[in-house]
Amino acid sequence: MIAAPFRPFISLASALVCVLITNAAQAQAPAAPPSWQQGRSTEQEKSTLHPFAIEVTGKSAKQLPVDKLKVPDGFKVEVWVEGLPGARSMALGSKGTVFVGTRQLKDVYAVVDRGGKREVKTLLKGLDSPNGVVFSRGTLYVAERHRITRYDGIESRLDNPPEAKVVVDGLDPQQQPGHFWKFLALGPDGKLYYNVGAPGNIVMPAYFQAGISRVDPKTGIIENYAQGVRNSVGFDWHPQTKQLWFGNHGRDWLGDESPNDTLHVATRKGQHFGYPYCHQGDTLDPEFGKNRSCSEFAPPALKLGAHIAPIGMRFYTGKMFPAEYQNNIFIAFRGSWNRTIKQGYNVTRVSFDADGKPKMEPFLTGFLTDDKADPPMWGRPNDVMVMRDGSLLVSDDQNGIIYRVSYATK
Amino acid sequence: MNGNRSAVAMFAAALSFFSPCTAPAAEGVPPKAQACIVCHGPDGNSAAPAMPSLAGQPAQFISMELFLFRQGDRKDPQMSPIAANLSNADMNELAAYFTKQRPAAPSHKTAPENAAAGPKLAQQFNCVQCHGPALLGQQHIPRLAGQQHQYLLTQLRGFKTHTRADFDGNMTSAAELLSEKDIEILADYLSGLTPSRD
Repeated sequence: MIAAPFRPFISLASALVCVLITNAAQAQAPAAPPSWQQGRSTEQEKSTLHPFAIEVTGKSAKQLPVDKLKVPDGFKVEVWVEGLPGARSMALGSKGTVFVGTRQLKDVYAVVDRGGKREVKTLLKGLDSPNGVVFSRGTLYVAERHRITRYDGIESRLDNPPEAKVVVDGLDPQQQPGHFWKFLALGPDGKLYYNVGAPGNIVMPAYFQAGISRVDPKTGIIENYAQGVRNSVGFDWHPQTKQLWFGNHGRDWLGDESPNDTLHVATRKGQHFGYPYCHQGDTLDPEFGKNRSCSEFAPPALKLGAHIAPIGMRFYTGKMFPAEYQNNIFIAFRGSWNRTIKQGYNVTRVSFDADGKPKMEPFLTGFLTDDKADPPMWGRPNDVMVMRDGSLLVSDDQNGIIYRVSYATK
Repeated sequence: MNGNRSAVAMFAAALSFFSPCTAPAAEGVPPKAQACIVCHGPDGNSAAPAMPSLAGQPAQFISMELFLFRQGDRKDPQMSPIAANLSNADMNELAAYFTKQRPAAPSHKTAPENAAAGPKLAQQFNCVQCHGPALLGQQHIPRLAGQQHQYLLTQLRGFKTHTRADFDGNMTSAAELLSEKDIEILADYLSGLTPSRD
């Protein structure tokens, strides 16, 4: 999966400070292998599979084959804005500002649309993997590696943002090497939901890891909501049932076809979804699955494909797309890298039959150009967001571009 | 921007006075690259053992290193102030220029015993897994074949002592396994390697 590929610069910087301070007294601690390599077999140590690095300086759409992007008949895809290196999670302000978080940079952007001319502001700087963004009642919430903060009245202070107020801190007490970036979403209960991923590819997590938690922004009280979730970096609530649906990244280094990444629904608080014991609802882990049964755990609603890396997902509630898209899910697949033949790199539509059974089909494709090449793609969809006019924004953190998908009735 | 550029040019002039880099301004080189070529050579082939060659390096590697210098993660008394004034677009333009330049044949001569030992170490320590079978680099991973000898030594020692920033921690982890003797053999071997896809 996209798993734990890259440590942020900050961890290296703080490691360096540590080294400098302690150098005189003791030898430096050895650097651990990168967390994306964790769980490889001895033979796999010679594998050339590797996660792909983003373009940290961004790329202009002019340099990219954006004309290769495809959407179903009647839909149109265009570049909405560029110049946001590392653009990931998106949130929409009440005055129309689009807030955009990053994982491998330290910035949060604000995109202001003035009559079709869009301006990108680097709103917040120097944060620690500020991946998650939520806007609610005038306030921007940001989930960093270790904390969730709030910026009140943000839309009237885009050029002079207020100091961060801490909602909750201490979310990464172990400085975990993998899956420390957090997705953030506001639940129908008014609580902020965020993931704490597994600290490695396949390891026994601590009680607060490998799950989805929530915090009440009024009190700062946190609770575990879902367990046994290796890493979920996208979730949303069904508009009618109000149940939490989420994507999950399966473990790496079990082969091209195994296990699938998955789509889940949590029907209540406290369910366990299998990690590290059982993957994709039916495959026991070769190491952690001993003496366990997959029937102990809540099965996935849908298998999405091995190593395909579902990131952002939202229910479609807009008025622009045809009626059959109502309450469908759009999911962005940012992978795969941990396969010899690559797949994914698209936005997929999940619809439901009369019995509520989900099925999926590709919706926005064309990022993947050669499934045997290294790299196989020129862009990576990351998050999706429904705009007020019903169009769909798609962020691409490989290039720092946001695309817009719209539908025109003929 | 123009102010920044002339500041860079002045800085480059100062460098050429105080440092071992002496290449004069060259024709056919984009204005933004004039400051670079003073040390890295007009066509991105450095003649100074401590200065890396940029010719034929993957574009993503060049833009990422400039970014790391600007962020302050990677530090160097000469590079840091230059990178501080570059925009993302500048970095991408410089990367596009130097990646197109042809790497020169190496001036470094590998010791015969290291020519035999080097390839074994490059396999053993998984250099070829990321840098590629011919060690030409890819994506954000640099070309090592024919790189300047002193530069390679400095970088490997820096990774090993955690004083050289890397984007993803991969090299810091890889260098952990290298002894000083391994570093010397690898640098001697890699620097003498002809950068060729043939």
